[in-house]
Amino acid sequence: MTHDADRACTALRLATLRGGVLDARATEHLAGCRRCAHEHEGLHALGGRLRMLAPEPPTSLMRRTLDTAAPALAINAGHVAWRPLVRAIGAALLPLPAIVITSAYALRALYGLLATVLPETLSLYLVLNYAGLLALCAALTYGAVPLLAARQARLTHEVAHG
Amino acid sequence: MATDEDLMRAVAAGNGDALERLCHRYERPLYQFLVRHIGDSDAEDLHQETWLRVVRHAPRFDPNRRFSTWLFQIAVNLCRDWHRRPPPMPIDPEIADRAERDTSEAASATIDLERLLRALPEPQRAVVLLRLYHDFSEEDAAEILNCARGTVKSRLHYALERLARTVKTEDTHSQ
Ligand SMILES: [Zn+2]
Ligand SMILES: [Zn+2]
Repeated sequence: MTHDADRACTALRLATLRGGVLDARATEHLAGCRRCAHEHEGLHALGGRLRMLAPEPPTSLMRRTLDTAAPALAINAGHVAWRPLVRAIGAALLPLPAIVITSAYALRALYGLLATVLPETLSLYLVLNYAGLLALCAALTYGAVPLLAARQARLTHEVAHG
Repeated sequence: MATDEDLMRAVAAGNGDALERLCHRYERPLYQFLVRHIGDSDAEDLHQETWLRVVRHAPRFDPNRRFSTWLFQIAVNLCRDWHRRPPPMPIDPEIADRAERDTSEAASATIDLERLLRALPEPQRAVVLLRLYHDFSEEDAAEILNCARGTVKSRLHYALERLARTVKTEDTHSQ
């Protein structure tokens, strides 16, 4: 038996088991192949029986499947909610070194300027006061970033899930 | 209408509605594939396990792939693991009980068919089920089974040869 013939037999067998009308090629092969002609009736009947092996899923299966998947689904949702938060904090931290360095330079320049007209202790006091104020501002700003990002994530989440 | 792949993106973001819709589309073919492949005693467990994996792997799902082949790939892999498991305890009173109740003619015909399919080696059976009952092409089957197209062809050939032989034996019995 050549491989081409094998292939034609396999195609016909599959079509016979599937049922329905055979196409022209299959019909032609059936007419010319003794082996296929011999088994055709039997395969046709077997195909009919195999098609009846179609069990319906139990009605509760869907519910149970969704329940089983619920925790994993919640993890997916959690990851999505956290991603913008992490991104926002990352973006906010990026310019921090530059801000610190510029501020340090500015404070030193300010101290130098004040020291030319005011007593040294008073200049130092004023500059330190100003530095404290700047630090407080920065702390408040950076403290607000996670809170704002989390709020934004919650809003996006609510919109996406109705 | 949302495509399967759209729904998968939503599942990756934790959307329960999208999962329910996907599950609704594929529950029946997937469940039937599992019953025909491994029998109905564990098909429900594997059905749930398949969808659990779908959800877990959803964030890494490649939207350029077809969802249906990916879903059946997961199911086929779970079935392979299932076949490698040690067989259950020989006498399960519940199964014996059910076998006793299932003595109707229809039930025994179903058992015959299941036995016929189960007689095929696991790789051949998977190919037959995918090609016979589901709309998967040879290429799809090769992707699902993670093998070459030629392998799909030869497995199908041997499996159908085997089925045809059983038909011929039945013929001679009835004569
Ligand atoms: Zn051959
Ligand atoms: Zn032939």
